[in-house]
Amino acid sequence: MNNPVWIIAKKELNSFFDSLTAYILLIAFLGFSGFFTWITGSDIFMRKEADLEVFFSVSKWTLFFFIPAITMKMLAEENKSGTIELLLTKAITARQIILGKFLACFLLIGVALLFTVSYYITVSQIGNIDHGATLCGYLGLLLMSAAYIGIGMFASSITNNQIVAFLLALLIGVFFHFIFDMMSYNSGGFVAQLLSGLSVNRHFESLSQGVLDTKDILFFASLTITGLLLSEVFISKRIK
Amino acid sequence: MFKSKINVIVLAILVLLGINYASRYLFLRFDLTENNEFTLSKASKDILTNLDDAVEVTAYFSDDLPVDITKVREELENLLNEFSSIAKGKFSYKFIAPNKDAQKEEEATKEGIRPVMINVREKDQSKQQKAFLGAVIKAGDKKETIPIIQPGTAMEYAFATGIKKLVGKNKPLIGFIQGHGEPPIQELAQAYQELSILYNISSAYINTDTVDLSAFKTLILVRPTDSIPPPDLQRLDQFLSKGGNLILAINQVDANIQYGMANPMNTGLKEWLLTKGLEIEDALVRDTRCGQVNVQQQQGFFSFSSPVQFPYLPLIQKFPNHPITKGLEQVMLEFASPLNFKNAAGIQFVPFLYTSEASARENAPLRFDVQRQWTSADFPEKNICVGAVLEGNLVGNQSSKLIVFGDGDFAINGRDQRRQNADNINLLVNSIDYLSDDTGLIDLRTKSVETRPIEELSDSKRSSLKYLNFLLPMGLVVAYGIFRSSQNRRIRMTRMEMRVK
Repeated sequence: MNNPVWIIAKKELNSFFDSLTAYILLIAFLGFSGFFTWITGSDIFMRKEADLEVFFSVSKWTLFFFIPAITMKMLAEENKSGTIELLLTKAITARQIILGKFLACFLLIGVALLFTVSYYITVSQIGNIDHGATLCGYLGLLLMSAAYIGIGMFASSITNNQIVAFLLALLIGVFFHFIFDMMSYNSGGFVAQLLSGLSVNRHFESLSQGVLDTKDILFFASLTITGLLLSEVFISKRIK
Repeated sequence: MFKSKINVIVLAILVLLGINYASRYLFLRFDLTENNEFTLSKASKDILTNLDDAVEVTAYFSDDLPVDITKVREELENLLNEFSSIAKGKFSYKFIAPNKDAQKEEEATKEGIRPVMINVREKDQSKQQKAFLGAVIKAGDKKETIPIIQPGTAMEYAFATGIKKLVGKNKPLIGFIQGHGEPPIQELAQAYQELSILYNISSAYINTDTVDLSAFKTLILVRPTDSIPPPDLQRLDQFLSKGGNLILAINQVDANIQYGMANPMNTGLKEWLLTKGLEIEDALVRDTRCGQVNVQQQQGFFSFSSPVQFPYLPLIQKFPNHPITKGLEQVMLEFASPLNFKNAAGIQFVPFLYTSEASARENAPLRFDVQRQWTSADFPEKNICVGAVLEGNLVGNQSSKLIVFGDGDFAINGRDQRRQNADNINLLVNSIDYLSDDTGLIDLRTKSVETRPIEELSDSKRSSLKYLNFLLPMGLVVAYGIFRSSQNRRIRMTRMEMRVK
């Protein structure tokens, strides 16, 4: 495969795994998720229910912090070192760069979630797990991650400081993650409808219950695409 | 060029917003859950496709409510929309917002919908607001009110049964046998409420010849305390011989928790059941899965009551795949007696209620002590049958059905109208449905979000699973990291060697 998107994705993935980044983040993610799913709090043996709801609600939060940490350097680093100009003078478009980097982040999240398959296997061994609903929950996590990667890429595209990119991604994310949701409870009518329609929480909840709804898929897809489109604008603007 | 790009992107974002907005009204849903928790049940569909007269629903729902309640409204709108598309023109609905208009408010109250007070936040102040969240179902000149609409499957059940109540013709008659110390129907209020949707219910006196028992589709005998005279038993035999159905919920052993005593009862049913091949033992079951009782304890000056596990209240959580127990999660019996089937020709025995993996039977008369410390040696048996169906030629050549429960109290609310566990009621109502109903509402009643309990595991297995799942994924990540770095080092080394050469 010599598609530039794939080449960039592969290069990024390799650099994740050749540095400590990927390992630290994977272990942090698996550590947090595993700890709260199996060891403490309202863990699986405490709830005595054969589902992965605990895992989903924990990883909703871990991914929320985990994703800005992997997207922050994506474009900001290239901006800072000026390699972005170098890349763009090659026969690669800004869109290909962004898609390649998006794909790399998305695959890394995919790998992280793949490591939790042991949770799924264990629970389905000790109880009658609802396979459809659980798969739908994983799909929800993936879609939500895609949306947060989109936001993170955007944050990374407008600055050449990684810390700023990280904080900005969290700041934007926080609104979608819960502030819109909370605000919607305190307002009424059309505003409340709009705000609750923008809440990641709402859309994720309905997916993790096991209902595949085009509304939710469209929402996450739109958030992802908007983030990526905006980062493309800012990257293109830089080399102008 | 850059300007035009920005324009394109702004346009793209606007289009996405538009699509998202439109998707609120035009969307597809796929229910991936195993039991189709979020899909209409067959029973509702059957009711709707068989509507003869037009049914109209008026939902009184206030405007400008907090989001969580607006969500219920949305859910209701989806449900009614689905109803009307299934009923093909026989079903219509409208929404009315009563809070704007005093006249509409009055109309809603007249229909039997009372406002509820909810907290809303307005101009940075929390205040109470009156809200209407009810609906009225009308068919012809009859109406049925749903005062408050609950979200989830309760909603579907409320509407489906409401419609069924209005359009149901020729409801079958069922009878609760009276005259031998049974609780009157009022003491079975919860079951009565459920049953009145599908049945006409009456008391059945079997001690006179004047009552025509053949009018009843099913007879139910709950906890008789007096002995049942032989002529009455003969009438039951006659009823069965004509294809009637009978449910018996009997206390074969009378237990008194105050005195800690349990003695066999003599109602005559034991001998009568033996002629059908079924023995109800003069014994009680004990089960490690059980309910609790409160025990007064004295410690120094203090006296306090604390809950204690009481094995004579078996808690049944595992059910075989049988229509009567479908969808049930937990039934608690109070002092149940074991059932034994002695082979009888032409009769099929289908047990559907068992004790757990660790249980025991204890012959009456017996004394019990709530404070007793139990050990696992006290529970040597497993899966003792406490409820079963007998089908076949029970009397004569006509096939009939008889359901026997080894406990008489599980569905009784009693004089003080004590609330029973919902599944206890469902168990009795399901068994009546099993004998008398063919609408399929039996499925809808227990169609709630099913709990999926995990197995009981030993402590060691549990902690090994815990740490395996916690540590294994992280270990794999570390192992891969080490593997990869050694791989990289080897590649580097070979390159260096090549350079040296």
